Amino acid sequence: MTAAAAPQIHALAPAALALHDVVKTYDLEGILVQALRGVSFSVAHNEYVAIMGPSGSGKSTMMNLIGCLDVPTSGRYLIDGVDVSGLDDDALADIRNRKIGFVFQTFNLIPRADVFKNVELPLVYAGIHSAKRRRLAEEAIEKVGLTDRMRHKPNELSGGQRQRVAIARALVNNPAILLADEPTGNLDTRTGEEILEVFDQLHAAGNTIIMVTHEDDVARRARRIVRLRDGLMESDLPTSEDRARSPLAPPPASRLPAASDAAGSTLAAAAGA
Amino acid sequence: MLRRGQDTIEAVRIAVGAIRANTARGVLTTLGIVIGVLGVITTMTAANGLANNFRESVSALGTDVVYVSRMPWIMRGNFFDFRNRPPVSLREVERLASRLPSAAAINPTTHTQRNVKYASETIDNVDVIGTTDKQMLVSTSVPEAGRFLTPFDVQANRRVCVIGSEIRTRLFAGADPLNKEMKIGRATFRVIGVMEKQGSAGFFGGPDFDSQVFVPITTFAKTFGGAQRNIDIAVKAPPAMTVADFEYEVVGEMRKVRKLAPGEKDDFSINKMDSLLEMFNNVMGVVLLIGIVITGISLFVGGVGVMNIMFVSVTERTREIGIRKALGARKRAILVQFLFESAAICLIGGLMGLLLAVGVTEIINRMLMPASISPGIVVVALLVSSLTGVAAGVVPAYRASRLDPIDALRYE
Repeated sequence: MTAAAAPQIHALAPAALALHDVVKTYDLEGILVQALRGVSFSVAHNEYVAIMGPSGSGKSTMMNLIGCLDVPTSGRYLIDGVDVSGLDDDALADIRNRKIGFVFQTFNLIPRADVFKNVELPLVYAGIHSAKRRRLAEEAIEKVGLTDRMRHKPNELSGGQRQRVAIARALVNNPAILLADEPTGNLDTRTGEEILEVFDQLHAAGNTIIMVTHEDDVARRARRIVRLRDGLMESDLPTSEDRARSPLAPPPASRLPAASDAAGSTLAAAAGA
Repeated sequence: MLRRGQDTIEAVRIAVGAIRANTARGVLTTLGIVIGVLGVITTMTAANGLANNFRESVSALGTDVVYVSRMPWIMRGNFFDFRNRPPVSLREVERLASRLPSAAAINPTTHTQRNVKYASETIDNVDVIGTTDKQMLVSTSVPEAGRFLTPFDVQANRRVCVIGSEIRTRLFAGADPLNKEMKIGRATFRVIGVMEKQGSAGFFGGPDFDSQVFVPITTFAKTFGGAQRNIDIAVKAPPAMTVADFEYEVVGEMRKVRKLAPGEKDDFSINKMDSLLEMFNNVMGVVLLIGIVITGISLFVGGVGVMNIMFVSVTERTREIGIRKALGARKRAILVQFLFESAAICLIGGLMGLLLAVGVTEIINRMLMPASISPGIVVVALLVSSLTGVAAGVVPAYRASRLDPIDALRYE
């Protein structure tokens, strides 16, 4: 099995995140449920990784741990070289603020706040003063091509636009990891494709992206696919090898031209499409 | 430091936004706070107004004057202990005066009630006071027009009188009363002066200083019969002496005038402005206490209402809290956000209460007595309302700050 070789390849580069034998056990009314039963893998900077698995595989738990919304029961989790396994709530909040940019399936924008304020929010919690906040937030909004929507409320935007606001918000603190949880799950195919193109661009621009999904063709946009099953890692393969293994995979040629087209255009243009 | 400042500014912005999003609910919620603050301000303003009014009017009695009388102004204990006391006579006044050479002034007064009449106007049962020119020495009250009684008026038994401002208003209705002849009872007196307005202490059963008529005590005795009439003696302390020490001396000399044996109880009373003030303060204390209790209850009820609405607000915005936490909000930031919101709701209630109180004070001012809201009361009221808000917000805000971000994000 080639899966064992993959971590070694990435170990050469400085890891954006590294999990060592991570176990997560939940106590559900006296019954101990092992959601993760010892998972190890690392992600180097500027990798684009998809985490897949059927429901109950530990996907959500993995996402919560990587996003520092939760801590492992045992094992170590290092993000950007910092061990976060034993941190308290406030320290985790700071790590989330500085190291992680979240993109959620349901966008999770604050409804009463306009685009600018939503994007600015992580900077507020980082304690950055307002002039710098304004500059950084406007830059992030420009990256996703929504400068003309700056003062709109989320409910005045389309789904794709909302997700781009969420991406701008995730990027605004220049995080170590962009963590996306089913980012196309609430979008139609065409809009989902637009968002995936934005991710391609961000990856090309040097960002580290981890995407949790259950859709094969979405996962295939990543360069590497980690599959979970029953709380254990089932496989960890470069996308090309993973696809070769999968009988349901569509022909590889169908998507590649679109992706390379997008790579040639600017993000703003992609957003405006 | 910067982080704290940013938290605070952000918290204020969020609070304002959240309240604007739910204006009607916020306004209804604050009703208890509005009434509470209205209560605080009105109670304190009314109390202040009454106190000022009362002090101003009793100040005419003079702070350095003790009154020797048959009866105490404020009766405590068994009335039958007092009723057998002999009245104070004019002869006793003379004897006391000769024993108190150090006194700055001694002024005997006596009083009765008569109807007074001028032209077609009559006022029933007006306090008519027999006094002397010395009244000007023991009282701070002065004539606003004309003059007060002179030694000559007293010695010559002249039929002249000085009237209170209220008497002028009601009897002379705008006309100049000076040198007019008016009837006191059946006798005719010439008005030689009008006293300046004192303000009434009548609320508390005290004398109404503005509805009095002063006549020479000699004329009084002849006209209204004075041989057996009880006399009050005002004795002003010498400048170098405290009233308390002087009072002691006055009691001693009066006991000698009355020839009381060392074991016997005083058969006269010493009255002071202090004792009126004391009574007033007791009454005021009760009024204030009732006001504070009512205010406290409405603030409490208002606070519970705000707490309730804050729980609703936290529940409604569970997901928002999850988002904020995911984006890096610390517990403190969430706590502060909701505390500010709660305090801001109550502060708005406080401001509304303040506005209403301004109106109520204006009404009191026009209809009852001079009253004004002092800046101190405003500060207290707004402080009390925001503190109520903070207190009401603590539990909901704490609960919000402790929400688990994963659960909060999953909340529908």
